[in-house]
Amino acid sequence: MSRKPKSSTVAVSCLVAVMAVLLAAAVVLGRTGEPGGRTVVTVRLWDPQVAAAYRKSFDEFSRRHPGIDVRVNLVAYATYFNTLRTDVAGGSADDIFWISNAYLAGYADSGRLMPITGSPTWEPSVVEQFTRDGKLWGVPQLTDAGIAVYYNADLLARAGVDPAVLNTVRWSPDESADTLRPLLARLTVDDRQWGYNAANDLQGIYLNYIGSAGGVFSDGDRFAFDNPPAVAAFRYLVGLINTDRVAPPASDTNDNGDFSRNQFLAGKLALFQSGTYNLANVAANARFRWGVAMLPTGPAGRVSVTNGIAAAGNPASRHRNAVREVLAWMGSPDGNAYLGADGAAIPAVLRAQRAYFDYWGRRGVDVSPFFDVLKGPRIAAPGGAGFAAGFDAIKPYFDEMFLGRRDVARTLAEAQAAANSAAAR
Amino acid sequence: MTSSSRVLSGAAIYFWLALGALITLTPFALGLLTSLRSPQQFATGSPLGLPRPPTLANYTGLAGAGFGRAIVVTALMTAVIVIGQLTFSVLAGYAFARLTFAGRDILFWVYIATLMVPPTVTIVPLYLMMAQAGLRNTFWALVLPFVFGSPYAIFLLREYFRAIPADLIRAARIDGANTLDVLVHVVVPASRPILVTLTLITVVSQWNNFMWPLVITSGSKWRVLTVATAGLQSQYNAQWTLVMAATTVAIVPLIALFIVFARHIAASIVVSGLR
Repeated sequence: MSRKPKSSTVAVSCLVAVMAVLLAAAVVLGRTGEPGGRTVVTVRLWDPQVAAAYRKSFDEFSRRHPGIDVRVNLVAYATYFNTLRTDVAGGSADDIFWISNAYLAGYADSGRLMPITGSPTWEPSVVEQFTRDGKLWGVPQLTDAGIAVYYNADLLARAGVDPAVLNTVRWSPDESADTLRPLLARLTVDDRQWGYNAANDLQGIYLNYIGSAGGVFSDGDRFAFDNPPAVAAFRYLVGLINTDRVAPPASDTNDNGDFSRNQFLAGKLALFQSGTYNLANVAANARFRWGVAMLPTGPAGRVSVTNGIAAAGNPASRHRNAVREVLAWMGSPDGNAYLGADGAAIPAVLRAQRAYFDYWGRRGVDVSPFFDVLKGPRIAAPGGAGFAAGFDAIKPYFDEMFLGRRDVARTLAEAQAAANSAAAR
Repeated sequence: MTSSSRVLSGAAIYFWLALGALITLTPFALGLLTSLRSPQQFATGSPLGLPRPPTLANYTGLAGAGFGRAIVVTALMTAVIVIGQLTFSVLAGYAFARLTFAGRDILFWVYIATLMVPPTVTIVPLYLMMAQAGLRNTFWALVLPFVFGSPYAIFLLREYFRAIPADLIRAARIDGANTLDVLVHVVVPASRPILVTLTLITVVSQWNNFMWPLVITSGSKWRVLTVATAGLQSQYNAQWTLVMAATTVAIVPLIALFIVFARHIAASIVVSGLR
């Protein structure tokens, strides 16, 4: 006669069995279909819309290169550069990863990127951004083009403003030469409608003002915005917010990067200065007549920033030859054209940009102001060793300055010292 | 105390309780309302207004963002850690409370001293250990640092086990019970309130764990709910309607747990002194 097992043994056995089932489920969940005999190259990026375009592009690549399977690893922008840093340091980063100019220096200087041979078919501004010490460190993938002004045609009509006037508007610290400020006053209705989105916004607003005042934001790897033209530019912007009150208060915009765009979409902001990165959103959600005009001209001309994204090769990859093949595809017109097909991003390969223009042309949107502005002078997109830390150090100073609580010149001097000190650490 | 003053003091108490409830619950209500708006409504309407018309598009959009898999991964991770932590903590708590061996108390206090080390301090060494072991971006890396018990759980259990009458355990021994029998038939049944408390604490803390999964995993394969929610915010668009749908989904299991174990949670406040 068999002995009945003790209930304590049964209880422990049940516990072990449940744990075993859970762990087996985890094993099943973690299984990936490895393609037999094929090299797998992983590509990490942060934009879900572009990721979908890349998948189509890589399907075509794999059709042409049957021995290589390319997989997209989508990591959210909010955590992208934190996890990239730990993964690169831990030797477990993807074979290819997107990188922005702001973070390039740290990786390039520490030998964490494959050197790339340039091509004349790539957007020169992006090539320039990703060139450091005479070497190119990434294959240009996307460009933001320049900054322009989205306008609400209904609000302009209500104020009796011809949209064509926007292309001739000038800003100046000299009131007699300033035509922007009077225009914004006409477009502002107390507590109901603002004229413009002057705000603590690096790419959309103040870099362009510094450039069009004749100033600089950075010099090499150092922050250098404490200069008289930059002081004039920031004084002008802070004045629009706190003195003229033609822009939303900084208390709304300092910590909410979406505020101005949402006010524009709500029909409460007449002019919204921004880049192509907001074009799809505006096109999808604006319920009024709208268009795009050129940036205001400043004392030193009409100056815009332009930014780009490159794909970098990981030198620690186990399949360097396959990585080079994939990078070559990503930098080719055929491979890069997929990124512009749905209008969400501008390919950085010049011959691949046609798809982007065609998309918006079919929708009746004239995107030329974003590109025409780049025919004039540009201000460099900031970056360099320690840029991210330095930029974080700036924020509290600039927040207070845009709130109108600190003197502009003193704030810029203190913020620059703090930023360079943080960057040097 | 007169009846009118009693009514007044009762009204004052209810006023403050209602105010507290309003302050506590309003963010959840706003989150729920936001999750029922379209991005267009959110961008153009008042944040306090009602969704007109309400839409479930954000919830269906979560599926496209890989949220279903994140829920499965989070549930699996939480289940493994809860079972592991409770099992190993019961064993360790019993050993520290009832078994006699050399260096027991020193070992216990050294272990408890690790409570004083902030978790962020251990993240880098833990990351390096996992990366060296080739476990980065695996399920094992998610659970291994937590599955073998926690100092807090062991401390609570040890104190609770010490309060169980020694005669009860001796009687079981006289009846022929070995250590496992004593644990399963005497100690564990007598410790149900503290075990429920620990289960709830572990479920909530692991379900909401963000930093470690963020650091040790990348991509969608082992992404947990918290990381997936943070990942909904893109470079130029916060996507608040989608984020609020995600947070609403994420708290539903915890609310269900609270409703099921409401009585035990009230008891656990008494047991653990937690608020």
